[in-house]
Amino acid sequence: MSAFLARASRHVGFQIGAVLLLLFVGTALVSVLWTPHPIDALNMRTKLMPSSAAYLLGTDHLGRDVLSRIMVGAQTSIAVGLIAVVIGLTIGVALGAWAAARGGWVDEALSRTSDLIFAFPAVLIAILITSVLGASAQNAILAIAIFNIPVFARVTRGAALAMWSRDFIRAATAMGQGPVGITLRHVLPNIASVLIVQATIQFAVAILAEAGLSYLGLGAQPPVPSWGRMLRDAQTYIFQAPELAVWPGLAIALAVLGLNMLGDGLRDLLDPRLRLLRVG
Amino acid sequence: MIEFLSRRLAAALVTLALATIVVFAVVEVLPGDPALVMLGTDARPDTLAALRAKYGFDQPLLTRYLQWIGGLLTFQLGNSHAYGTSVAKLIGDRLVVTLPLAAMALGWATLVAIPLGVFAAWKHRRPGDWGVMGFTQIGISVPNFWFGIVLVLAFAVTWQWFPAGGFPGWQEPLKSVHALILPALSLSLGEIAILARVTRSAMLDTLREDYVRTARAKGASERVVLFRHALRNALIPVTTVAGLIAGFLVAGAVIIESVFRLPGVGQLVYDSINNRDLVVIKNVVILFTILVLIVNLLVDLAYALLDPRPRVTA
Repeated sequence: MSAFLARASRHVGFQIGAVLLLLFVGTALVSVLWTPHPIDALNMRTKLMPSSAAYLLGTDHLGRDVLSRIMVGAQTSIAVGLIAVVIGLTIGVALGAWAAARGGWVDEALSRTSDLIFAFPAVLIAILITSVLGASAQNAILAIAIFNIPVFARVTRGAALAMWSRDFIRAATAMGQGPVGITLRHVLPNIASVLIVQATIQFAVAILAEAGLSYLGLGAQPPVPSWGRMLRDAQTYIFQAPELAVWPGLAIALAVLGLNMLGDGLRDLLDPRLRLLRVG
Repeated sequence: MIEFLSRRLAAALVTLALATIVVFAVVEVLPGDPALVMLGTDARPDTLAALRAKYGFDQPLLTRYLQWIGGLLTFQLGNSHAYGTSVAKLIGDRLVVTLPLAAMALGWATLVAIPLGVFAAWKHRRPGDWGVMGFTQIGISVPNFWFGIVLVLAFAVTWQWFPAGGFPGWQEPLKSVHALILPALSLSLGEIAILARVTRSAMLDTLREDYVRTARAKGASERVVLFRHALRNALIPVTTVAGLIAGFLVAGAVIIESVFRLPGVGQLVYDSINNRDLVVIKNVVILFTILVLIVNLLVDLAYALLDPRPRVTA
């Protein structure tokens, strides 16, 4: 651990990523307890105001404080992104580990299915699902989670297969341990680093996907503030209040940038030979 | 090579067949009653029954599926519920916007990304490399639709060099290309970042090869080493990724067309979702899948031509 910290203290990208992530999570946590203004206080007299001491980032077309809404929007991004990644991770890791342990037709079926999902662009799967089931935060989570499953399944399968050919696992098999026990006790702990790194990157991808879906009106529904939706509304008033279209986008970009830099940094620090899957 | 390509073609056809099943299941089986989705829960029973009869929703599932597949094979896609016109014509009219947009974005991405990647590999572990890597990190983090809005703010609101959105139609070719420039730029940002990274790492791999050292030992100039020896071989993985990206460009067009209000296939998907026009949605999604599969096959073909190895092993 101290060796990890020593290397982390020399990795600038990792540090920038960690600071941005702290800022992102910190903003969301603070917004649970406090925001400068109530997020849904409509006031037509203060609509489309530029930055001022009272409204640091100005107000939107309904006179609501933009800073407060961006702060609460961080909660939406984290909730949707995190839940989608956890679902994808849980199912994907289980499937990938099963394929690696069992081999044969299970492995073949799983690989073909993930190829099939990769043949559809992620945005389209998400649009298809939300258009049939209806636009809501839950369905956005479902759509993003479904795309995360094959990503984690593929990464887990590859890393676990490499483990299964190692001597200490052969020894465990020879000692009579079953595939489930070996997977839980030996395989998963040894591939944890690749999963942590991939989860960080997928969290970034999920936040981008959530922003895209809610920009199209297919994510969290009003009155819940979401960064993508704020951008959609801001675009209508782009000639009257151009800076409205700047802040939510900057928030998305910084959150995603932080996670991407943290993920790349973690990869360098944990295992520089790791190969990441970048799709989306 | 024929064997390699026919195998890939067979795999693509299997994927396509499975994709039709998945799309059919999501659009027509998952919601229970598609007529209810299209008309809403407050529709009158006789209106619902009429719609079911019109689109054959009252037929057994297998019959409906086979009818759809038969229609796909003969380009008889039926009529849109919202527009009342033929789905095939509707999609065809929109493709003339989306395909040029995706092509412009891919062309621009390749033009910028490959030199950037070569430059970064040449300046490996020096400031030039860090600069390119920093740029690519930002490129994959910025949402392309926000980049589009920022471009509108700069080049349509502040300096009025480009229109903020809309499309005049190809009867005015110059104006149309002009209207596609900002959308293509915003669509290409993420792809530039990914392609530059792939080019850089592929170049770093080939620069370590013996034949590069031999070329250097023979006194070849840096430019000849970089472009004639290293880049030519680095292009193999770059082509693969460029093909993958082409598929995602078409999907990314859904959002970008919405930003710039372009009447393309993406906008058609978006409108069809709001109109709950399931007939259009299922056909457009299959069309996108076919496009992605065709591009992947072209990549395999390019791969086989550039690199002799898969002809033997695959």
